[in-house]
Amino acid sequence: MEALKWPIIDFLQALSTGLLVGGTYGLMCVGLGIIFGVMRVVNFAQGDFMMLGMYVAYYLVTGFGVLAFLGPYAGPVVGAILAGPIVFVFGWLLHRFLISRVTGARVVSADAEGHYMQLIMTLGVALVLSNGGLILFGSLPLSVQTPLSRESWEIGPVFLNQARTVAFVLAAAFAVGLYLFLTRSDLGKTMRAAADNPIAAAYMGINVDRLHRFAFGLGVGITAIAGGLIASSQSFQPYIGFDFVIVMYAGVVLGGMGSILGAFWGGLTIGLVQQMSTLILPYQLQNTAIFVVFLLIIFLRPQGMFGRVAERT
Amino acid sequence: MRRSGLGGQYLAIAAFAAVCLLVGWLVHNSYYQLIITLVLIWATAGVSWNMLSGYSGMISFGHAAFFGLGGYAMTIAFVQFDITPWIGIPLGVLVGMVAAIVIGLPTFRLRGHYFALSMLAYPLAMLYVFEWLGYQEVSLPMKREAPALYAQFSDPRAYIALALLLLVVCMIVSLHVERSRFGMSLTAIKQNEPAASAAGIDAWRWKMLALIVSAGMAAAAGGLYAIVLLVVTPQTMFGALVSAQALIIPMFGGIGVFWGPVIGAAILVPLAETLNAQLGNILPGIQGVVYGLAIIFITLLAPEGIYWSVRDRFGSRRAAGASKPSIARAAAIPAAAAAQQFKHPAAGGEALLSLNSVSRAFGGLRAVDDVTVAIKAGTIHGIIGPNGAGKTTLFNVINGFLRADTGSTTFAGSELVGRKPHEICRHGIGRTFQVVRAFPRMTVLENVIVGAYVGTASNVEAERLAMSARERVGMANEQAHAIAGTLTTKQLRLMELARALAPRPRLLLLDETLAGLSHDALEDIVAIIRQVNRDGVTIVIIEHTMQAMMKLADHFSVLDHGKLIAGGPPASVVKDAVVIEAYLGRKWMQRAKDPVA
Amino acid sequence: MLKIRSLDVAYGGLKALSDVSLDVEEGQLVAVVGPNGAGKTTLFKTISGVVTPVSGEIVYKGKNLLAVAPYERAKLGIAHVPEGRQVFASMTVMENLEMGAYARRDRQRRSDVLPSIIETFPILAERRHQLAGTLSGGEQQMLAIARGLASAPDLLMLDEPSMGLAPTIVDTVFDRIEYIRRTHGLTILLVEQRVAEALELCDRGYVLETGRTILSGSHDVLMSNTEVQRAYLGS
Repeated sequence: MEALKWPIIDFLQALSTGLLVGGTYGLMCVGLGIIFGVMRVVNFAQGDFMMLGMYVAYYLVTGFGVLAFLGPYAGPVVGAILAGPIVFVFGWLLHRFLISRVTGARVVSADAEGHYMQLIMTLGVALVLSNGGLILFGSLPLSVQTPLSRESWEIGPVFLNQARTVAFVLAAAFAVGLYLFLTRSDLGKTMRAAADNPIAAAYMGINVDRLHRFAFGLGVGITAIAGGLIASSQSFQPYIGFDFVIVMYAGVVLGGMGSILGAFWGGLTIGLVQQMSTLILPYQLQNTAIFVVFLLIIFLRPQGMFGRVAERT
Repeated sequence: MRRSGLGGQYLAIAAFAAVCLLVGWLVHNSYYQLIITLVLIWATAGVSWNMLSGYSGMISFGHAAFFGLGGYAMTIAFVQFDITPWIGIPLGVLVGMVAAIVIGLPTFRLRGHYFALSMLAYPLAMLYVFEWLGYQEVSLPMKREAPALYAQFSDPRAYIALALLLLVVCMIVSLHVERSRFGMSLTAIKQNEPAASAAGIDAWRWKMLALIVSAGMAAAAGGLYAIVLLVVTPQTMFGALVSAQALIIPMFGGIGVFWGPVIGAAILVPLAETLNAQLGNILPGIQGVVYGLAIIFITLLAPEGIYWSVRDRFGSRRAAGASKPSIARAAAIPAAAAAQQFKHPAAGGEALLSLNSVSRAFGGLRAVDDVTVAIKAGTIHGIIGPNGAGKTTLFNVINGFLRADTGSTTFAGSELVGRKPHEICRHGIGRTFQVVRAFPRMTVLENVIVGAYVGTASNVEAERLAMSARERVGMANEQAHAIAGTLTTKQLRLMELARALAPRPRLLLLDETLAGLSHDALEDIVAIIRQVNRDGVTIVIIEHTMQAMMKLADHFSVLDHGKLIAGGPPASVVKDAVVIEAYLGRKWMQRAKDPVA
Repeated sequence: MLKIRSLDVAYGGLKALSDVSLDVEEGQLVAVVGPNGAGKTTLFKTISGVVTPVSGEIVYKGKNLLAVAPYERAKLGIAHVPEGRQVFASMTVMENLEMGAYARRDRQRRSDVLPSIIETFPILAERRHQLAGTLSGGEQQMLAIARGLASAPDLLMLDEPSMGLAPTIVDTVFDRIEYIRRTHGLTILLVEQRVAEALELCDRGYVLETGRTILSGSHDVLMSNTEVQRAYLGS
């Protein structure tokens, strides 16, 4: 019995950290889920918008110190939250001038070439954002300083890092808020309708193109908030987006492509997988574990947990 | 197909090689020599990407997997086993090809963005694995005793020659692929995969072959890259920028043609490298920005790449006059003799195609419900029924696009259920589609030749078959080189018919071939179909244009809600109360009986 | 209310409609029938704006409809119940109806809508919180029609409501359409393959064949016309 104690504690620790991390991953994935669900766009640049969110939070809190007056506890939180609207505007503009040229209502029902064009365009955007970030921000790894990242709460044998816990709580709160938005508000429902059936949505008088623009902005904004929340717990540099692209896609695919809320559960699960994999795999391979899960889902159950089997053509 | 002859292309390649060597010899600055070498290596990587993604349309975002594996295979062989790169690079090629099979087997089952995303995952996974294995930075050892034996040269120009050699080999391989049945099949798959399958092309096999060749080329490029850089890290071999470059260079320069990557590399690599050298200190990451902007501009302005935009602007893509010598030979066959060849012994009255209790459901909806029908050899058999009755679904089941849930389909004694569309085509069943599935960027002749491939292993014979098929349907010779996307509806229908006829099938499935045609066009096509039938081809045709069907068909089968509700000679079927009710509604029949109201 | 003149539409590479003209007076039920491929659905798509005509004009309540953006047309009072129902499968019945009511946001209060709809389709009332994707075909068709009604339209366009439904269900659906006509006094444009049901309900009818109007007339004229049968069955 004694021999089991440490492995059990390790297991519980990995589980708890996995849940905490998973919460923020879940929020990140929801952003991507919105974009894919509503627009059927595979946005390679999603990770780079997360990166932008991290840097916005950083500059608001530490770099330019705009939020310094809020103190070291509230500052990072508010910074993360503000990253949302700022990146939303940026995403909105990007869609208006670039992305809408290769996407839009007509592309949802387009041929394979149309789909590829979006992928390739967003790949270009990803390159420009990440490398542009390198130019603007430099390559020095940064993180948003908060005393919470060094403190942990103890619950039994398990340590819960305070910064991560706060991030989890906020991510969950945002996810709940988003859920309410999607299920209760007019705009949220029209988004779900457009995701479900864009043709019928157009018949209802819904301006699908304008909705896409909003969805894109919302999607990248939410992922940016998630980024801002993570920024207190880990260091980041401009290329971090690439690391997270597969994480986010794994979460969205696991949750079911097309299910906006499923993406949250998918992201949560991915976070769990990542942390639990450290029980059996070396630390450097934790992302490889995610890839393996990703590939397994795609091959064995491409519709994920909540998605629909038929891909809308 | 490219109009200029094979010889012309060889000449162009030779000229290109000569120019490269000349430039290499004239340039003295070793940094510029390095840039030229890199241009050639990345052009090779682009040619390799084109081999799979440009020709077949399966866009790969993960070619770094093969590039990196080739590089590391050579490196590990060199560093740990002291094996010379002269052997190490071919070894890398082998490793790349094996990886292609391992990766391709599961991944080709995926479509669209699932395929793209999984391809993205492979090199990233490999990156993490190699980092974990401890290969963060591996330097190639300097061999002072016999450097040439280890592909190490003091004069950087030797590397230019080496890279050029590799590139030229890859270009020649691409050239031959482009002009072969392999290339045509890939193009057909890219432009319309279901049509290609129905025409007898085994899509999976060709895509796999393309992936293997592509992986080999990429691995060779990776090996050479490692030699030139002398220091190998997982980032430089498997990193996202590698996959991005392998994709951006051919897309920028021109997709689907081997000159494209050369153009792309010649423009982008020096640009990125020079900017990096000049401004790399102030603007680190300028390289990535260059590539990112390049691909954004290309997607907006010239989605197929510079090569095609320039070519479109300065001359039509297909010169109507130029023709290949082999076509002249084929025209020598007199039309009558051609028709003779196609006569199948009319087995008079025997069932050629039998469906027994065939059913197919989607969710709860029974699209085809327990259908049993025998199609007699030599007849024209019409399948009619109201909208949504399941007629096209029935064809899709016969043809192999859908699998029957229950029941069996026999054709000339063999069971068809469970077979793939291209196999069914090989058995002798041809198909046209409700919405014409042409290969829009290929010429009429090429469209038909694609159909002929399944009938013969010889390319020359395929052309002959294509020519006679076109004559059978009455398509004039001048149209042979018109691009399919520019044709009228009638011409498209005729072309699809010719493509289905090219391999000399015994049975044709025609899906609404007559829809939307003018009266005259209708008459023409009806006459052609009748002639084809008289030559011995059994025809099963779905149609709504009743007047035409009455004249054409020997026998009607009527479907409604997936069930067979009537069958027999046309004249009696259309008077059948059950049929009228299916089309017009029960109340119509009631009214007809009871005109008072 | 709706005047279509000399409409020419090319769709999917084919000439879908040639010189089609149509009149729908207020309060009438106008039926458009014809065999498959006649262009009926293309007609609706052109009115809704999914497809743009090559030439011709569409005038709705005196306004040039072609000048109005597609997503604005619903707000003018045109409700399109599409072929194949196209309900929002992942949303509940109530949410589908709310989406239908989206177009009338600026016009009337939405809470007035629902009672009358539920009265017309009692079966939907029982299932109001059920996901639309889990409804049967007939129920989905009724939901689609209800969704169209939810926008309190002036013109209700029904595209092949009988498609894919079993005969008894078709009867129920047409029964409801008749009920709607009686009680709501809407103007209805009905496209159908099932001629008898359509012509029986209609005030005026048009018969399309390969994109052309081959016959038009009042209810009585069409019901006894053998041309209609010939158009479908060629004899």
